[in-house]
Amino acid sequence: MNDLAPLKLMSASGQLGYGVLESAFKRGIDHEPDMIGADMGSVDPGPAYLGMGRIATDPETTRRDLTLLLEGARNLGVPLIIGTAGTAGAAPHLEAVLDIVRAVAKDRGLHFNLASIRSDIPKDRVMAALQEGQLTPLGAFPPATETDVLESPHIVAQMDERPITRALEEGANVVITGRACDTAIYTTVAMMRGHDRALATHAAKIIECASLCCDPGGRDTIMATLDNDGFTLDCMNPNRHATPTSVAAHALYEQGDPYTVREPAGELDLSHAVYEALDEHRVRVSGARWRDAESTLKLEAAAPVGFRTAFFAGTSDPRVIARIEKIWDEVRAIVSGLAGEDAAEMLRARFYGLNGVVDWPAPPEHLPREVGILVECIGPSRERAKQVITVTKQYFLHHGFPGRLSTAGNLAFPFTPPELEVGPAWRFSLHHVMALEHEGELWELFPVAHETL
Amino acid sequence: MHDTTCRLLVDVARVVRSKNAGPGLLTIDLFFDTNSDYEAAVAAGGLQAGAVAERYGLSANRVRLIPYPLARAIKITMDRPVVAGTPGDSDVYGAQQHALLLDVEITEGAEL
Repeated sequence: MNDLAPLKLMSASGQLGYGVLESAFKRGIDHEPDMIGADMGSVDPGPAYLGMGRIATDPETTRRDLTLLLEGARNLGVPLIIGTAGTAGAAPHLEAVLDIVRAVAKDRGLHFNLASIRSDIPKDRVMAALQEGQLTPLGAFPPATETDVLESPHIVAQMDERPITRALEEGANVVITGRACDTAIYTTVAMMRGHDRALATHAAKIIECASLCCDPGGRDTIMATLDNDGFTLDCMNPNRHATPTSVAAHALYEQGDPYTVREPAGELDLSHAVYEALDEHRVRVSGARWRDAESTLKLEAAAPVGFRTAFFAGTSDPRVIARIEKIWDEVRAIVSGLAGEDAAEMLRARFYGLNGVVDWPAPPEHLPREVGILVECIGPSRERAKQVITVTKQYFLHHGFPGRLSTAGNLAFPFTPPELEVGPAWRFSLHHVMALEHEGELWELFPVAHETL
Repeated sequence: MHDTTCRLLVDVARVVRSKNAGPGLLTIDLFFDTNSDYEAAVAAGGLQAGAVAERYGLSANRVRLIPYPLARAIKITMDRPVVAGTPGDSDVYGAQQHALLLDVEITEGAEL
């Protein structure tokens, strides 16, 4: 194997836009990394952000983080790669982040080649795959339907490192991607410099969460230095330490299987990975293996399911608490009689203190002295959802039952008006794998655009 | 025969956490401080796929257990009954679904 120059991959943040610790970032800059990366994406906050084209992070904090990264990377003259722009990586998320980048560049007098890579998959392409039986569901998802495809405003696919490689080869200094595989942010430069895919992917998989792999875990900048036989992890916050156990444990985080990581182009096999302490702060990692597989696309989409309204209330009445499920059934029946039979299906209640969080198999041994009640209504329109929640609130408040103590009202409302308009409600409609028709399709689906700032 | 003690998972494990692994899967990690705690947990009847599935109201083939000795951890991965964020889901991040396991009995010092 050729002797490769050690390559310093710096992960500034695993969730750009929630605040980057400046001292750790600056310490990373002092180490002169060969590239800087940050992930912005997450499906954790649910389908609403992808469906609505909305960014989960606060715009001001996002701008602050991007300013720090853009100035750091431009001062060093190294590539900056931001993965999955704006939480979900669809066109509106990407555009919103590009707008911030352009504004920061203008404001700070930065000049560079900015590349952006879209990841929106045309509906007719997905529809064709569906009709040919080429969409495979992941996890517990059901097979996709035409409705799933047609009703989803944004369908994105995760890109691997190839479109990002093209952007850099074409002269990009800063690359902002639509939906991208988290590891691609870091494997791109590593593989362009001839590093081993298995080691690069393993390093990328760990640092894409920044210093979450450390003890104590955190969100601060981390450096992975990659060479011929492995890589070294060095957290840029001196108070967080990478230890063999903390780094090995990170393989469990949000992963279904700690030994195998499925990537767009193959599988990372960690069953022979070795983690060794270099000192009290740094860990040396080696032993990852790679298996090529057919190149696939992971699709994500969200579809609307109606408009959500809600109210929150509490009760301290032991007789209400003792029969709360029965009261709720009766209230729903009354509301159906008043506001239309379909109202019962729109309504759902959660009783915090009893079963709001977990679907317990049996009621608790002792009833709590207070219970929090969240009632949500998902209706076909805003007006309908408002109507049903308003009627429900009033009839729940005043519902009579045998032996009732507090005959003036069953509920305590913490604020007024108690009815809340939550907004459009969403569901993940696609979480499926689609085969590529041919390799060249990659360039149509993930087009690279450049602009000079 | 050795002396055996029976303790609950909540008292034996250092960390018991749950989280989504993608919107369709829930994954639970159990971390232990000592090898003997870890080994006792791996052997525990209540931490086999069938028993865990029963607690979560799933069929056994929808639950997978993976011992991970490198971190003295056990990973439990299961299909989510409701996809994350779909109406009816009570926990979008899946971060509070570990509690159903806390009273699993772990017998230590058992002769295996």
